[in-house]
Amino acid sequence: MHRTSRRRLARIAAAVTAATLLLAGCSKTNASSDSGSGGGSSAAPIAKDDLVLVASVINTTNPYMASMIEGAKALSAKLGVPLEVVDSQGSSQTEISKIQAILARGKKAVVMVNTVASSDAKPIVDAVKQAGGYVTIWWNKPDNLEPWDVGNNFVAFQKYSGVESGECTGKALAESLGGKGNVVGLAGVLDSTTSQTRVAGFKNALKAYPNIKLLDLQPANWDPQLGLSVTQNLLTKYPNQIDGIWAADDAMIIGATQATKKANVYDKIKYVSDGLYPDVVSLMKQPNSPVVGETFHRGFMAASIGLYTAYLAATGKIDPSTLPHEKRDSLFKLVCATPKDFEQYTKWDNDVAGWVDTLVNAKDPWSVEPTPLVGQGPEKLPS
Amino acid sequence: MANPVTQDHRQPAATGTAPVAHRRRFEIRSLGEVGALVVLVVVFGALNPSTFLSVGNLQKVLDQAATPLIVGVGATLVILMGCIDLSVEGVMGAAGMTFILTTLHLRGGVESPTDLGFLSFVLAVLVGAALGAVNGLIHTRLKVPSFIVTLGVWFVGLGIGIILFGTSAQPNLSDAAAQWPTRNLLGLPHSFWLAVVVAVLGVVVTRYTKLGRFAYAIGNNEDIARSNGIPVRRIKLYVFVLAGAFSGLAGILAILQLGQGTPSVGASGAAGSSTLFLTIAAVVIGGTSLAGGRGGILRTVLGVFLLTILNNGLLLAGVDPGYRSGVSGLVLILAIVAAAWPLRSRLRIVK
Repeated sequence: MHRTSRRRLARIAAAVTAATLLLAGCSKTNASSDSGSGGGSSAAPIAKDDLVLVASVINTTNPYMASMIEGAKALSAKLGVPLEVVDSQGSSQTEISKIQAILARGKKAVVMVNTVASSDAKPIVDAVKQAGGYVTIWWNKPDNLEPWDVGNNFVAFQKYSGVESGECTGKALAESLGGKGNVVGLAGVLDSTTSQTRVAGFKNALKAYPNIKLLDLQPANWDPQLGLSVTQNLLTKYPNQIDGIWAADDAMIIGATQATKKANVYDKIKYVSDGLYPDVVSLMKQPNSPVVGETFHRGFMAASIGLYTAYLAATGKIDPSTLPHEKRDSLFKLVCATPKDFEQYTKWDNDVAGWVDTLVNAKDPWSVEPTPLVGQGPEKLPS
Repeated sequence: MANPVTQDHRQPAATGTAPVAHRRRFEIRSLGEVGALVVLVVVFGALNPSTFLSVGNLQKVLDQAATPLIVGVGATLVILMGCIDLSVEGVMGAAGMTFILTTLHLRGGVESPTDLGFLSFVLAVLVGAALGAVNGLIHTRLKVPSFIVTLGVWFVGLGIGIILFGTSAQPNLSDAAAQWPTRNLLGLPHSFWLAVVVAVLGVVVTRYTKLGRFAYAIGNNEDIARSNGIPVRRIKLYVFVLAGAFSGLAGILAILQLGQGTPSVGASGAAGSSTLFLTIAAVVIGGTSLAGGRGGILRTVLGVFLLTILNNGLLLAGVDPGYRSGVSGLVLILAIVAAAWPLRSRLRIVK
């Protein structure tokens, strides 16, 4: 028995050595082929056949995320490059490890990441750079992590202005109340910059309306259930006082309308929010809808613009190092939609492929209507 | 720790007389929690007399407590056996999605083709029970700790929910269905009545059925229970199935309350924290021992109300949201310390 176990040990040792040798061989060929493909990995354009598109989203059930996936799929079909969708399931760990797994498979990755948290941007950018891929980050990154400091592999950071969103919906709410009344606000996760900037914009807009009183501002964590229960609590706290509800995004305003419907005050209150999600569109379509203001921007536009920017860099069509800073830390145009004109924007929803066609034919991700580039980040909060 | 626990339950039988047994059942300790609850209600009532004690707010607190109450009944049964069920949110997601997709709903403005009516209700509860059975079977047959099994089933359930959701638009219930939970029957919301039915069922099971009594015995000491001829594996399986069914029911209720289908329906309970955290905290705060064998459904009911009222009261009192979770933790610790103070010498817990 002693001898067999020793023999087994020897056999395991041999297997391990063999495996190590194999692995070493592997990495060696990799290294040589890397240096063979012409100096720095970022300089030489990558052939289309060696590419894979990667779209990383926070989850797959939020309407905004579903729209991002739709846009990435349309771009993949248009470019003829395969697509991998990463579902982060709300977790930074899941997101980073899944992206790393795809990078390890060898094809050059063209990546668009809607980061779960700002702090994820750095490890993702580093991993993609090391693998010789190209990445565009959407929505969240630390202010001090700039693409031009990292190099060509971090092609761009892109987002819509939160301040502008908050100002747009705040103004619409105040106007709909004739400049007089009590409002409450539902913020997203408290430490999210997207929520902070939208709240700052909202408060800034209200400064022009001294007779609008912000009774309360509560976090509802982007969550319709919390939007529902927080609104229920606010309706109790301020009985018959609330004239308007503002939310940092549509998931929460859906919960809020659910709460006011339950309390039979739905029609007595005005609502504004960000995103123009399908459920909110159906509320706005009703005659005399109390939803009086929205912003229009789309996940499919964000995802395809982000992926396409990275794709242009990967295929050598653009050289990120020569781009102006506003094209690398970018704010895109957000539309303020009103009950009168929202349908002229939602028409894009029925033709995602057509919009992506326009984007690719323009060969310029920064100038496609309705969402051209409008400014440079990082975003400044109004004082 | 095991000793005082066993003694606690033997004593009434040993002393025999009915009044003593009755007093032991409620135990002095639960008076502490009742006291904490009363203090909370009085303090919040004094802070916002016009809103906190209004009928509307009371009804809303009952509505918000309903989901954690239903999950809490199942969780208590499992914890009484010295096991734990972490899968509740996954089970809620899978059952909730099953429910909404088989009942009348709207998706992207289009009405669903399938409407099983009441059957969809039954189907969703069965999905919950089936996931509970998976929990129970793997735990008892493959001898995997319940902590690990149910952690796995949590994500399996979430996965099922996400697959059922698919990639189309968010499914919505009709306004009529979404308002069912908050409509009142005899002045109290439907959701609360549902929770009352489940809680009464739980109390009956723990007090008057073999299943409940055996669950206590298993939690007290599994080896002694087994050597006394209690079919430990079967009882454990049944309890997990029951807990799964209750979680499934809670998933349906949460979807009804929200009026919208989402697999993460359990991830944020009405009281501001996730359903899993809220219910396990409620079970423990109520005084059910995580080691098993000691506690009960009514204690969990107390625990759920403590947490729900705390959250509701702090919001009405206008505590800044940034401070609220800290304040709520502090108040909770104070309440528990105060509740357990008369018993500190007897508990002898140093863990």
